[in-house]
Amino acid sequence: MWSDSLLIVFISICTAFLGEGLTWILVYRTEKYQKLKVEVERQSKKLEKRKEAHGDSLDKQHKKKIEREEERLKNNNRDLSLVKMKSMFAIGFAFTALLSMFNSIFDGRVVAKLPFYPISWIQGLSHRNLPGDDYTDCSFIFLYILCTMSIRQNIQKLLGFAPSRAASKQGGALFATPPAQFK
Amino acid sequence: MSNKSKSSDGSNKIKVCESVWKKALVANAEWPDKEEFLDVIYWMRQAIGIILGLFWGLLPLKGFLGLLLFVIVNAAVIYFYVNNFQSIDEEEYGGMWEITKEGFMTSFAGFLVTWIIVYTGLHIADNL
Repeated sequence: MWSDSLLIVFISICTAFLGEGLTWILVYRTEKYQKLKVEVERQSKKLEKRKEAHGDSLDKQHKKKIEREEERLKNNNRDLSLVKMKSMFAIGFAFTALLSMFNSIFDGRVVAKLPFYPISWIQGLSHRNLPGDDYTDCSFIFLYILCTMSIRQNIQKLLGFAPSRAASKQGGALFATPPAQFK
Repeated sequence: MSNKSKSSDGSNKIKVCESVWKKALVANAEWPDKEEFLDVIYWMRQAIGIILGLFWGLLPLKGFLGLLLFVIVNAAVIYFYVNNFQSIDEEEYGGMWEITKEGFMTSFAGFLVTWIIVYTGLHIADNL
C-alpha cells in the first residue's frame, strides 16, 4: 500500500513537470505571451496604486481614468487567456488520457488509509471504484488530486510561472490557470 | 555575451533569495516590497504544512481533531509571526484575512498528503 502512495506522489511530480514543460514550450516562451504578461502586470500594479491613492475620492476625472484603465486591463487579460487557451486544451486532452490510464491501473486498489473519516461529499472521490464500506480507504484519484494541488502550484511558483498577485487580484477568474488534469 | 548576462542574472536571483530569507529571520525587518513578504509567508506555510503532516502522522493523530489542530496551529503561527515578530501593519496587505489565506489551500493539500502517507506507512499493516 505504501509503495502505491509513494508511486502516486512520484507520478504527480512527473506530471506536474511535464505539464509545466509543455506549457513552457507552447506558451510561456512565446514572445506574445511574455509581452502580454509584462503588460498585464505593469497595468495591474499601476491600477492598484491609483485605486489606493484615489479610491475614496469622488473626482469624476479620476474615476473615468480608472475605468478606462480597467477596460484596457480586461482586454489584455482576455488576450492573455486566449493565448493560453489553445495549449491548455491540448495539454488537457493529453492529461485526461494519462489520468484514465492511471485510473485503470489503480482501479479497485486501496492506495492509502485516511487518518480521518471523510465527509459525505468527499467520499465519492476518496472511495471511488473501491470495494467495501470502509470509507477511510483512499482511492488513487483522491491522493492524486491532493498531490497535484500542492506539488503543481509549488512547482509553478518555484519556476516563476505563477501569475503575480496583483495581476490575479485584478484579473480575477479570467487569469487563473485551471488545473488541466481535472478536466 | 548573452550567456554572461544570464549567469549574472541567476547569481543575482540567488543573492536576492538569500537576503530575503535572512530578513525573514530578523525581527521587525523592513519590507518595502509587499510581494517579497507575502512570498515568505507562502513558503513558510508550505513548510508548516509538511512539518505538521509529518508530526501528525508519526504520533499518530486521527480524525477531525487532526484537521482542526492543523488549521489552528497554521493560522496561529502566521498570526504571531506577522503581528509579534515582524510587527507588520496588516492593513497594508488588505487586512489579516488576506495574509491568513495566502497559500493556505496549497499548504493544506501538502499537509494532507504528508499526513496520509506517513500514517499509512507507519501505522497500517500492509495487507493489501
